[in-house]
Amino acid sequence: MNNDLMEKLKILADGAKYDVSCSSSGSSRANNGGIGNAASCGICHSWTSDGRCVSLLKILMTNRCIYDCAYCVNRSSNDTQRVALTPQEVAELTIGFYRRNYIEGLFLSTGVVRSPDYTMELLIEAVRTLRSEYRFNGYIHMKLVPGADPLLVQEAGLLADRISVNLELPTRESLALLAPDKSRDAVVGPMRQVSSLIVTNRAERKQSRKVPRFAPAGQSTQLIVGATPDTDRQIVTLSEQLYQRLDLKRVYYSAFIPVMSDSRLPALPFSPLRREHRLYQADWLLRYYGFSAHELLDETTPNLDSELDPKTGWALRHLELFPVEVNRANYEELLRVPGIGVRSAQRIIRARRQGHLGIDELIRLGVVMKRAQYFVTARGRYAGDIRLESGLLRGRLVEPSQKKVVRQMSLPFETQGADETASAVTGEL
Amino acid sequence: MGSSCCYDGTLGGLLTLLARLPAAADLPDSIATQPPVQQGLFSNTVTVETDPELAEQYWQKLHHRLGSAGLTPVRSAFLADHPQKDLLICRYLLLGMQEGRRVSNMLAHPQVSPLLKLAQQVNREAHRYLGFVRFREVTGGFYYAALAPDHRVLLLIAPHFAARFRDQQWVIHDCRHGEGIVFDRHRQQWLLLPMETSAEPEFTPQEEQFQQLWQSYFATLAIEERKNLKLQQSKVPLKVRPWLTEFGR
Ligand code: SF4
Repeated sequence: MNNDLMEKLKILADGAKYDVSCSSSGSSRANNGGIGNAASCGICHSWTSDGRCVSLLKILMTNRCIYDCAYCVNRSSNDTQRVALTPQEVAELTIGFYRRNYIEGLFLSTGVVRSPDYTMELLIEAVRTLRSEYRFNGYIHMKLVPGADPLLVQEAGLLADRISVNLELPTRESLALLAPDKSRDAVVGPMRQVSSLIVTNRAERKQSRKVPRFAPAGQSTQLIVGATPDTDRQIVTLSEQLYQRLDLKRVYYSAFIPVMSDSRLPALPFSPLRREHRLYQADWLLRYYGFSAHELLDETTPNLDSELDPKTGWALRHLELFPVEVNRANYEELLRVPGIGVRSAQRIIRARRQGHLGIDELIRLGVVMKRAQYFVTARGRYAGDIRLESGLLRGRLVEPSQKKVVRQMSLPFETQGADETASAVTGEL
Repeated sequence: MGSSCCYDGTLGGLLTLLARLPAAADLPDSIATQPPVQQGLFSNTVTVETDPELAEQYWQKLHHRLGSAGLTPVRSAFLADHPQKDLLICRYLLLGMQEGRRVSNMLAHPQVSPLLKLAQQVNREAHRYLGFVRFREVTGGFYYAALAPDHRVLLLIAPHFAARFRDQQWVIHDCRHGEGIVFDRHRQQWLLLPMETSAEPEFTPQEEQFQQLWQSYFATLAIEERKNLKLQQSKVPLKVRPWLTEFGR
């Protein structure tokens, strides 16, 4: 098998690596006699030299593609070597890696060969081989091919833990410009279908546990950031809608890295990693901190502040709400204090039942006082050493702007349930 | 004058020590699992003989006072490889005997927060090792993984691997603490045993192939433009790399 397989693996991993989603959490699948299970907490197995978590074998079935999306290495007009794996090879690789505990499971994507249906069937066959021949119960994330038959989508969802279609570009105009072969409807259509299938499945499983699970880890999508002139406000508002209306589990953001020059793409002096970082922070605020998109961004501030995390930015615009007294504020109010994350908010609530909290106690509870001091009182005492005034505070709170590119956050992996998750990824907002 | 105390390193031993304490104020200033090599002239090191029955009684009492939630952090902290761990556990348990179940919520208390922090460190390392274990296929039909964690995390990670790899024979060996877990797939059971290896086991031919595949896959994944070795190092510290296939050679 070897040299040939090695070569193919390299090419097909290279073609899939820009897909950022790596989370393997949110599903729990028991091991009934075969190999593997899906752990609901998400496990990272390694980290690449760019600091991204490796948890899944992330590959393309093939890098052949009949389409020509401007941002993609696999586009048909790109002169590159084309290879394909067989469903059997995908299964063998996955099992071989899994048994050695290299990975949590498989992330299978693909270029489009012949037709969307034909391609979708190939993916399904690979995954079916894993599930039934190898009795593999580990995590599987499957990409849906835009335009594939709804019946195939249904089938995919019954085999995989998570399914996804990449939205890629936030607006219709951007999509038309950079991915002329994909219509917005061909992308959003399957997302809608999946979302309603998940809802129906949940209801049916309430009636009877015998109904097989449909995509138990839900669906996710990815947006490319910085390849088009869309504002953060457009992006964050879109994400909010995806979470609320289509019940998505995750939206991933990928800073655009030009893999090739194309006259349709803006010339970029640097890749917008910091912007990506800020978008993830805003995303966390939507999902775990009870913020809504319009609180973070509006007509006057269409883009996130590159020097301040979005929560601090919001707080500085709403100083009338601060300082809050940590012994009295409710959970929601605590969460909105810069420097208090999900975990420390929960700890404060638990600990203060046993006695009033002073500044020392806050430090012991893991509150980041460097930021929180300006926004709280403890036993009535204000901890900050300057007045609550936006201009003054801003000076204290901005992150040193040219500390290389960013304190790049570790990309979104979900660890240890919601509690640990928040601070693991946001770096305690 | 610093009083000190030593015991055999088992949980039973530590519980015996606590059960024999006349009053909470009599907690020694240091507790060790071996008598200190150099005893000071006026030192008064007491060696505690483990009394299983007394320990069991005391455990029941603790369970009754603190509830199982109150004892959970103690189990993890006990696996810590940390010179202060015994003292931290004792201080926490003594407070627990006084305060009862609420102790596990007294997160900001100086007798509680250090213990919780230690337990959290152990749990965190255990969680990381769910990912860092690397099995290699040994001729003779089993999978062997070696590692050297800071804390004795094997007991915490065994159930995960037993559930996941129930159709393969495997061994996870903690080389630092000289112990290992052996999983028997026929009986679906695992055991923690003292373990040493004298020679490198012999691996199957496929093993080499999969290691190469994995290494080249791993190398391909990195995106040059986003290179961030500092971040990588904070996630995969140098000390764990010798045990990880993808960082080999
Ligand atoms: S359809 Fe997918 S693989 Fe093909 S060019 Fe577009 S993004 Fe790339």
